[in-house]
Amino acid sequence: MSGFYVLDVPEFSPLVRAAQQHERCRVHPVVAGYRYVEFDCEIEIKRDATGLGEAVWFGCLTGGLDGKITSFTSESIRLAPTNEPVLGV
Amino acid sequence: MTNLAPSLSGRLSLHGVDHTARPTWKLRETVEFYRDILGLPLVHAITAKGWGREKEEHADFIHFFFDSGNESTIAFFYYIGTQQPPELVVPRGYMAMANHTAWRVETEEQLLAWQKRLENKGVRVSQFVKHEILESIYFRDPNFYPLEITRSLRDMEELDAVDANMTIDAALTLEDSGRWTSIEQLWRAKADFVRKRQQEAEPVAAS
Repeated sequence: MSGFYVLDVPEFSPLVRAAQQHERCRVHPVVAGYRYVEFDCEIEIKRDATGLGEAVWFGCLTGGLDGKITSFTSESIRLAPTNEPVLGV
Repeated sequence: MTNLAPSLSGRLSLHGVDHTARPTWKLRETVEFYRDILGLPLVHAITAKGWGREKEEHADFIHFFFDSGNESTIAFFYYIGTQQPPELVVPRGYMAMANHTAWRVETEEQLLAWQKRLENKGVRVSQFVKHEILESIYFRDPNFYPLEITRSLRDMEELDAVDANMTIDAALTLEDSGRWTSIEQLWRAKADFVRKRQQEAEPVAAS
């Protein structure tokens, strides 16, 4: 399973709302302070859809990532499942 | 036996900032900036003959303090008759900005008022920058020391500390590996900590 964790605090709630509107994301309920946003293929989230300012946007995966970043710009982020080790080989 | 430190038997705590201090080789500009432009009262000054440290040729100096609220001060040392050593020139670039002072205000209106005051006094000041729990403006003093005025957007909760500890635990693991190069590695390593926390909280339902 792939996805990312979002800390359940106000500044990241716009990211959760954008994920809830995303057809390829499944947003889990809060468990122990974090939501899991699940995906099973490459997804793109646009910053416009979140309304986040850049300072928070560029930290939006701080809750943790099960997957890999295929691109990350000020406009959008693309994430995909991965089996690659965290530190490479 | 005399108990020299009874307070050590309980939990030690600090009570906020008393003062921070930096050297300056621009006495007039520094006083004019902090006292006259920022309007921080000059509340204390120490003058001394080198603190008696003749062996290291300690310069005679003035150590002066401006009131920055809540019983805190920002202080400077002016070493008389000395030249600024090259290693104490504030470097350009973002890394040196990490060494900064951030003062707190209570409201957005106060932050806006400080921004306008600085602009009206000819100080280059940033737009508002909203971070996770802070909203700030940034500027420099005449010594090129970075300064920030910030307001809290929300109180820090216990969950913030839990999250911070998992971030740092993941980061320490990566630092120890000697192969840490990106924030993506940290976010992936941290996911293991968060997953474990969820599994411990809800062994069946958690992802």
